[in-house]
Amino acid sequence: MTGVTTRAARRRMRRFDNPWTNPKLFCGAGLLLAIVALGLLGRLLWDLDLVFTGSAPLKLPPIGFENLRGQPGVPAHPIGTDGSGRDMLALIAIGAPNTLFVGFLASLIGMGAGIVLGFTAGFVGGRTDDTIRVLSDVMITIPPLLILVVFQSAFGDVSLTIMALLIAGFAWQSPTRLIRAQVLSMKQSGYVMMARLSGAPTHHIMFREMLPNLVPYLFGSFIANVTTSIVTAVGLEVLGLGPQRIPTLGRTIYDAISAGALIQNLWWWWGIPTVLLAVMFIGLLLVNLGLDEISNPRLRRLGR
Amino acid sequence: MTEPGHPDGGSRIHETAGVPGTTAETVHTGSGRNRGRGGPVDSMTGRPVLTLRELSVDFPTPQGVVQAVRKLSLDVRLGRRVGFVGESGSGKTTTALAIMRMLADPGHVSGGTIDLGGVDMLKLSEEDMRLARLSRVAYIPQGAMNSLNPVMRVEQQLWDAISAHEGRRNRKELMRRSDEALDSVGLHPRTGRLHPHELSGGMKQRVCIALGMILRPELIIADEPTSALDVVTQRQVMQTLREAQALAGSGLILIGHDMGLMAQSVDELAVLRQGELVEYGDIRRILGNPGHPYTRALISSVPLVGGKSFLRPSSAREAPGSRRPAPLLTFDRVSKVYGKLTALHPLSFTLRGDVPKIISIVGQSGSGKSTLGSIVLGFTHPTAGAVRFEGRDLRRAGAAGKLGFRRDVQAVLQDPYACFNPFYRVRHALAYPYRRFGLARDEAHIRQRMEEVCRTVGLDPDLVLPRYPHQLSGGQRQRLIVARALMLSPKLLVADEPVSMVDASLRATILSNIYDLKDRFGISILYITHDLATAYHVSDYVMVLYRGRVVEAGPPGQVIGNPEHPYTRLLVDSIPWPDPDRPWGGSAGPEPAADHAHVADAPFAYRGSVEGFELVTR
Repeated sequence: MTGVTTRAARRRMRRFDNPWTNPKLFCGAGLLLAIVALGLLGRLLWDLDLVFTGSAPLKLPPIGFENLRGQPGVPAHPIGTDGSGRDMLALIAIGAPNTLFVGFLASLIGMGAGIVLGFTAGFVGGRTDDTIRVLSDVMITIPPLLILVVFQSAFGDVSLTIMALLIAGFAWQSPTRLIRAQVLSMKQSGYVMMARLSGAPTHHIMFREMLPNLVPYLFGSFIANVTTSIVTAVGLEVLGLGPQRIPTLGRTIYDAISAGALIQNLWWWWGIPTVLLAVMFIGLLLVNLGLDEISNPRLRRLGR
Repeated sequence: MTEPGHPDGGSRIHETAGVPGTTAETVHTGSGRNRGRGGPVDSMTGRPVLTLRELSVDFPTPQGVVQAVRKLSLDVRLGRRVGFVGESGSGKTTTALAIMRMLADPGHVSGGTIDLGGVDMLKLSEEDMRLARLSRVAYIPQGAMNSLNPVMRVEQQLWDAISAHEGRRNRKELMRRSDEALDSVGLHPRTGRLHPHELSGGMKQRVCIALGMILRPELIIADEPTSALDVVTQRQVMQTLREAQALAGSGLILIGHDMGLMAQSVDELAVLRQGELVEYGDIRRILGNPGHPYTRALISSVPLVGGKSFLRPSSAREAPGSRRPAPLLTFDRVSKVYGKLTALHPLSFTLRGDVPKIISIVGQSGSGKSTLGSIVLGFTHPTAGAVRFEGRDLRRAGAAGKLGFRRDVQAVLQDPYACFNPFYRVRHALAYPYRRFGLARDEAHIRQRMEEVCRTVGLDPDLVLPRYPHQLSGGQRQRLIVARALMLSPKLLVADEPVSMVDASLRATILSNIYDLKDRFGISILYITHDLATAYHVSDYVMVLYRGRVVEAGPPGQVIGNPEHPYTRLLVDSIPWPDPDRPWGGSAGPEPAADHAHVADAPFAYRGSVEGFELVTR
């Protein structure tokens, strides 16, 4: 019995040695890259003009299936078309990377603000700290969807970047709190004390001594933020808000629902974007789990 | 696991192994051949409560299997106290965890038996083992006092222990038993109604002992129960532990690395080294006639007040003195007040610095000694008075002056584990300040200087510098910090408890390194400590701080060798010595809490002066 556990344990340890052989991180990154690849290959190999309304026959099923009118799928539109004559493949080749882009951009902006505010609050302290802390605490209690719905309906049509910015307005609070807490505890640590004894200027202590130790937290928090941002973005799009003229996965689901795709059994219209969203979330989750496993510096080996 | 063997540990032992002892059959080679011990058995009364036979513990790692404990065999009898002594990594705690069946994955018992009062612990089911923990064998882990639940009252935590093993009990009985348990460790029942943050360190440690004893286990394992406490509190806690154990009549395993503490607290001693039992027997026998060179090294590493110097300075040559235009450090009626608490009463002294001196500042935790150190380093600003370094007030200095001050005043801090940024290889800690202070000509110059100072403190630069901090032992890290100070050659070094978190066997080495800084490199040192025995050996002048006031000051031979003030006497009496016959922690010493009025009223004692240091006494 002990022999088996020992061998399993040793295998588990060896897996930690090289971060890039971590299977979770590898699979997760693979799934996310597949979505990016879908967008790139789509642009090279497929006619993306097919996203325009009426560029194809309506409601065609994927190859090998029949729709309610008995029409079979055709090779010109391998995964079918939607209710206004748009090719599904072209739709997701543009929509899926767009959704991912909104999530990453929103999270990136949110993290950037979080790092700056968190470090300022933790390092400067006093009134500045109070202001930032109260602000982020108050913002955390406001449900983002509520505000965003109001904003978006007021703005009408928005671009992807504006949308990402709006979502980023709700993605900076938790990184701010996390980093502030870490900075406060690190400020007391021996190595920061040693750095001060070494005459290190504040920016050195912040960015060279503290920040590297935060990298695991930042990565984890970043990926988690991407997930929440995508959920928020898709939530808005499914409600019919967000960009009106640019295809996204959420927008496609909204169109399908409002055209009665569920009743007409047009499953490919809403089903394919849903599956892609699921793939995206599973990919992000795996990346997060993988990063968790490898980010412990104690497991780092003696390098060259 | 990845911790490399200390290169220093081995060499030290060979140095001290000069005296050939009568090597009796004391060394357990693990073959089981020596199991039938002759002499000491007669003196051991009581049936064995714990029997270990050929116990081995393995930790598989990517680099191969590490044998943390190798074929360990020994008995613990009812009513006896057995000490496990050895440096970190010797397998003391691992053995204790194996007995508790609490080894961290992937460690496991790879051979041998653990028998607790006739029950084979390795064969118990998980549920039976859970019930056996605390009720039959209690483990008080290192730093247990910090693991009390902060949101629960002390008595509720005691009740939890009872109801987890005996099911629901009515409140009256729980109350009675928790009060009894607290009483047995000398705490008032009122303490039970408090939350952990309202207790002092010593009280928290006593609560942990009460928690361990509440179900009257046959065996108690205390893992360095006093490691974070100062000498006075250490003595009180050890006294409590011994009394509680005697009351319950159970066996006790005391884990530690300080031979002095062991000598004053246990009946039998097991010396462990790299997972092997190198010596086992009656404490008096081992202290009187240690059989193994490693044991002798451990005993000789304990500094004694009045004994011959345990330091081996590498050079007897005094650093050349130099005339300074202004005294190195001047305190002019410096005081520090935090709210209602006065951490430091007005204090004035002048350290000339013409000839380097080591000034010791001793006292318990809370005596204001760390505040004093922090003021010298410029991290804390005094409430009143002025600190002048080379005649200049730091607070009026410009940016260049501040950087110069940083270069000239360096520190060795208490916790070597926290002093290195885990993100960088350890050479960062040495190279960065060197570059920052503009001392480096080029990269090759930095490398050469780093290698030089590493060798000076007895470390192999090729082995140490390219590593990450977690790959080095505490002793190696602390020596690197000393090397860092040496590399910057400051004019003043503040050493705040530099050896309190380091294995006893390495203390002498590190203190010798620090002593060398003064002797060979002409650096004046403020040595802040609660350990009077080391202060006795290293310092030129000693100031005893009590509640922010200097109560006794003078050359160490007089102040520590022949203390006048009752507080100094209390500190000296609290030092554990490797002498089992010396009264320590018994009824002989006065109870300090009751004595505070007496201590506070005693007149201050100023006992002469040394050249180059002047304490203004009024």
